[in-house]
Amino acid sequence: MQGATLVQIAVAAPLVAFAVLVAMPGRLVGLVRWTSVVGAAVSLAAALGAAATYDRTAAGIQHVSSLPFVPSLGIALTFGVDGWSLPLLVLTGVILLAGVFASWDVKERPRDFFALLLLLSGGVQGVFASLDLFVFFLCYEIAVLPMYLLIAIWGTSKRVAKGGPLGFVWSRLDIGGKEYAAMKLTLMLLVGSALVLFAMVGLYVAAGSQSFDIRDLAKVPFERNLQLWAFVALWVGFGSLAGVFPFHTWSPDGHAAAPTAVSMLHAGVLMKLGAYGVIRIGMVLLPEGARELAWLVGVVATVNILWGALAAMAQTDLKYIIAYSSVSHMGVVMLGAATLTVNGWNGAVFQMVAHGLMTALFFALVGLVYGRAHSRDVPQMGGFGARMPGIAVCFTIAALSSLGLPGLAGFGAEFLVFLGAWQGGQPVWAVAGLVGAFLTAVYVLRAAKAIFWGPYGQAASASDPPGAPDPYPDLSDARGVEWFSLAVLVALLVALGVWPRLGLDLIDVGTADYLPAVAGRALEVLR
Amino acid sequence: MVAFPPVFGMSAAVVGLATIVAPLAAFLLLGLLRPLRATGTPAAAVAIVAALVSTACAFALVFAGAPREAVADLTVPWLVSAGQTWATLGVYLDATSVPMLAVVTLVGLCVQVYSLGYLHDEPKESFGRYYAFHSLFLVAMLLLVVAKDLLQLFVGWELVGLASYLLIGFWWQKPSAARAAVKAFWLTKLADIGLGAAIVVLYVQTHALDWSPATVQALGPAGATLVAALLFVAVMGKSAQFPLHVWLPDAMEGPTPVSALLHAATMVAAGVYLLVRAWPIFDAAPDVRLAMAWIGAFTGLFASVVACAQTDIKKVLAYSTCAQLGYMVAAAGAGAIDAAYAHLIGHAAFKALLFLGAGCLIHAVHSNELADMGGLLRRLKFSGGAFIVGALALGLYPSKELVLAGVGHAGLQGPLVLLLAAAGLTAFYMTRSVLLALFGPASAHADHAHEAPASMLAPVLLLALLSVAGFALFDSVAPVLVAVRERPHSWLGHIAHGLALAGFAVGFALYGPRRRDALALPGVRAGLAFVRAAAVDRAFQAAYRMGLLAFSRSVAWVDRYLIDGVMNLSAFASQSGAERARRIQTGKTYDYLTAVVAGLLLLAVASVYAR
Amino acid sequence: MPVQPWLLLGAALFALGVYGVLTRRNAIGVLVAIELMANAVNLNLAVFSRLHGNLHGQAFALFGLALTVAEVAVGLSIVILLHRSHRSVRVGAASELKG
Repeated sequence: MQGATLVQIAVAAPLVAFAVLVAMPGRLVGLVRWTSVVGAAVSLAAALGAAATYDRTAAGIQHVSSLPFVPSLGIALTFGVDGWSLPLLVLTGVILLAGVFASWDVKERPRDFFALLLLLSGGVQGVFASLDLFVFFLCYEIAVLPMYLLIAIWGTSKRVAKGGPLGFVWSRLDIGGKEYAAMKLTLMLLVGSALVLFAMVGLYVAAGSQSFDIRDLAKVPFERNLQLWAFVALWVGFGSLAGVFPFHTWSPDGHAAAPTAVSMLHAGVLMKLGAYGVIRIGMVLLPEGARELAWLVGVVATVNILWGALAAMAQTDLKYIIAYSSVSHMGVVMLGAATLTVNGWNGAVFQMVAHGLMTALFFALVGLVYGRAHSRDVPQMGGFGARMPGIAVCFTIAALSSLGLPGLAGFGAEFLVFLGAWQGGQPVWAVAGLVGAFLTAVYVLRAAKAIFWGPYGQAASASDPPGAPDPYPDLSDARGVEWFSLAVLVALLVALGVWPRLGLDLIDVGTADYLPAVAGRALEVLR
Repeated sequence: MVAFPPVFGMSAAVVGLATIVAPLAAFLLLGLLRPLRATGTPAAAVAIVAALVSTACAFALVFAGAPREAVADLTVPWLVSAGQTWATLGVYLDATSVPMLAVVTLVGLCVQVYSLGYLHDEPKESFGRYYAFHSLFLVAMLLLVVAKDLLQLFVGWELVGLASYLLIGFWWQKPSAARAAVKAFWLTKLADIGLGAAIVVLYVQTHALDWSPATVQALGPAGATLVAALLFVAVMGKSAQFPLHVWLPDAMEGPTPVSALLHAATMVAAGVYLLVRAWPIFDAAPDVRLAMAWIGAFTGLFASVVACAQTDIKKVLAYSTCAQLGYMVAAAGAGAIDAAYAHLIGHAAFKALLFLGAGCLIHAVHSNELADMGGLLRRLKFSGGAFIVGALALGLYPSKELVLAGVGHAGLQGPLVLLLAAAGLTAFYMTRSVLLALFGPASAHADHAHEAPASMLAPVLLLALLSVAGFALFDSVAPVLVAVRERPHSWLGHIAHGLALAGFAVGFALYGPRRRDALALPGVRAGLAFVRAAAVDRAFQAAYRMGLLAFSRSVAWVDRYLIDGVMNLSAFASQSGAERARRIQTGKTYDYLTAVVAGLLLLAVASVYAR
Repeated sequence: MPVQPWLLLGAALFALGVYGVLTRRNAIGVLVAIELMANAVNLNLAVFSRLHGNLHGQAFALFGLALTVAEVAVGLSIVILLHRSHRSVRVGAASELKG
């Protein structure tokens, strides 16, 4: 099959599955599930096929196809892939498939749930494969908007204690509630989208209103002022989805409220859309803006890493811990982007993949623990390892990957980023990143210890009389299809850790394509 | 470059690879096949066979008769950057890595065989898990030993930390074990920031990751000092140097064979091995080496003092490990890296012996406390005897003289005095432990004590034999193994021996058969030292609880109530604004009419004025 | 013929009507006031018709009268419905469009 067709299938498969699901009677739950599996699997297979047929020696953008969409404005459905987008297409396929299996037991309106999940994933694939800025933006919105319904309908609520000098806002807002979280996430991301749209139209007009094609726009030498403000707009706009400080606060509430598969996809892939947008659109189209403002991106990313890690350390709700850890790890991605070095960029994109897998695994596990313990309050847990050994092992593996243990995917990614930071002349960023990895070790192992280690039921029974009933009667290990998503994610984490070149070789090609133009220096100097 | 002679008719590098692949295969089998893991003893057999293969390969390499300059190299590109390889993964054998390979595999094998007896009461499933972790430990340590560059060494280094974490926390349902495991991981990870940064600096400055003279040349003196200092931070964490030693005594929460493995040939040895391996870098950084000499010597004395006050036999040995590592670090600091390496290898043998011997005693009385032992030699002739051999070796081992000679030769009087004092104390506290545990009146527990099974005794006796042989043949073996300089027959050696004998004598006088109530004594004598040891621990705890955790809580507070508060404030403001605005919409027709009329009037007036 | 007094009368009637619409709370009163305004306009139409010497204005006034009748019919039926649903003919009773 032609590579271009494979790319189109990778994007279209989830959307076709969405259309089929919408037309399907909602009571055929089994058929609904398997349709979703097929949609996800076809998308994944096509993405893998596209990666396999990509010619690494030729490099550049390949598998290009184009259909006219709005010819009068120069908009076309142009798809194509490069060394960066391929790993991310595959990642999305994997996480979608794992997410479908992780939400196998959704009870409430499963047809609508799976339909929205696939629609969202189709949008994500579209963003990664799109070469037309307008279509890029269109798909970006398709990826973001279903989230509102998914969280507001299938989410869970939690009370957040009132406090602080701004405590009066509690009188109007149900902070921590699922509707609140859904609305907050949607509004914050839409404000970001508005900035992106603004910058996008600005670039289109400045380039002569001929074409939205990213390849054409990349050839236009925009004037300096436009580069600066458009870069800031794109950085903040896309960055709000990547959890860039201080626009990250939708993430903890949103991820905590979202159902398992949605958290997996959102933290696993959607946040990457933001970072991908900053690098692929912001930096590649606006090299001068990127060079001048790299220091700002880097400083904020450093704050992200440390802030996210410290905030995660203080959480007692399991989902909040993982959500803040995403904020911290996305800081690593942005830090790598800001270094403007080969290793930094390789690390940034590799970290997108590594963190995507790791956080999807985390959220899948949190969903399993929550589904069985009916609680997310970590201090009340303890000794779960005896009742759910497999989940404990997988959680430990995810934890170790997130703290950057060699042999798991996180190590290569983080190490490359820190190396790139020092190479880029910013030792402080590198050291801050290493400190962030240590802080990660503190909070993830603390959580793992509090949940799985120690005697069972100790914390809960401290106040109860002896012989009190089992506080967690439903604890059990993962079952059936649940294993599938865990096994796939763990296997990929290990595979990419032991042999990083599985992903790195492709990413390296993408970096070599784009970096010299952005950094304004020869590739050899940036190694 | 001189090629390594073939071993077993194969290239030496392949044999070196086999030492890693065998335990790796065992780990994968035990880790992935749950039914196999749950079989208990057969699972152990898989791991032990793998360790045996590994040991055989390692010893074949040692006895291959390779010249000192021989090198075997088998690496594959592991990380790429702009299409070019910059980090490799593989096997690199030379005169430094091969002896360590043998030490690690042999101690690992002994510990695995020993554990068959020691842990036979464990449930089958966790028995299998134990052997899986052990195999992982071997893989990690061997990966570190055969590393060609610092990045692979770092990989092994971190995986060793992981395996220690898993084994220290083997009894994960015990809260103290869980805490100790996490503490060990955190403290070493904290120090590993140094190693990570060192690798980054090395690469940025030289575009290389190795420790060859050419790399050190490219690094320059300032660069070498920075890299050496950063590396040494990591060494301090891993090799438990003051003040990062606090994880080591807690690590005794693991099963005793694990302590033997951790303290003899693997976890803590990794730090000193890094000193040996990356010696050219340290050699070029005299300032760092001075600090090393002082820190090592201070740790040697400090830990020896603290060891005198311990009532738990494993803690005595733990602090003694700390102290001996101090010797090695001080030797490296003085430039006597061969002495450090010789002491590392010798120490691996007799410390494994001491821990496994102590394990036999613990196994017999089901307690770690010296107070629960006493008079055990009568019932435990072999293991008791082996423990005594170990204690003598710890007090008198010849490599210690090399260390002292090296420090003295470098003109470091201060560290020398500290180390000499530590030598006397070592003899004292080992005498104390031996007398309290093996002699004197039998405790209540000791009555039904029984000798350990053969699976435990065999490794103990083998190690005892090796310690004795190492002792007797030191002058002929050590130069071959680690290329030490000739043992100096200086006055230093006599002083050290004299101090050690004095230590034995004082110990005997204080804790001999006539002083049966002597157990209370150390509480008074060395209480001060103990308080200081605990103070370091408490400082770390305070920094963790009151520093890190409190700070993180304030960050989280700011995040939730200020940063997110501002976001919520914007939502609040628009909602309250809307609330105000909607009051205009009364729904009453006449209000709207009033507005219409007012608007018309306004328009009329405006049109008049606009004209 | 002087038009000024007639126009003043028309303006006064219109103002009275506006005042009535704004102040009356009874729906029938409001309707009466609206009639007043409509007739003020009709008066003006008749006056200007006379002034210009043609019949356009008067024809338009007659047309307006017919419209007013239709409007009153619709208005009164709304008032009846209002009474049925709210048991009151007070205008303030119906505030379903309140924001």
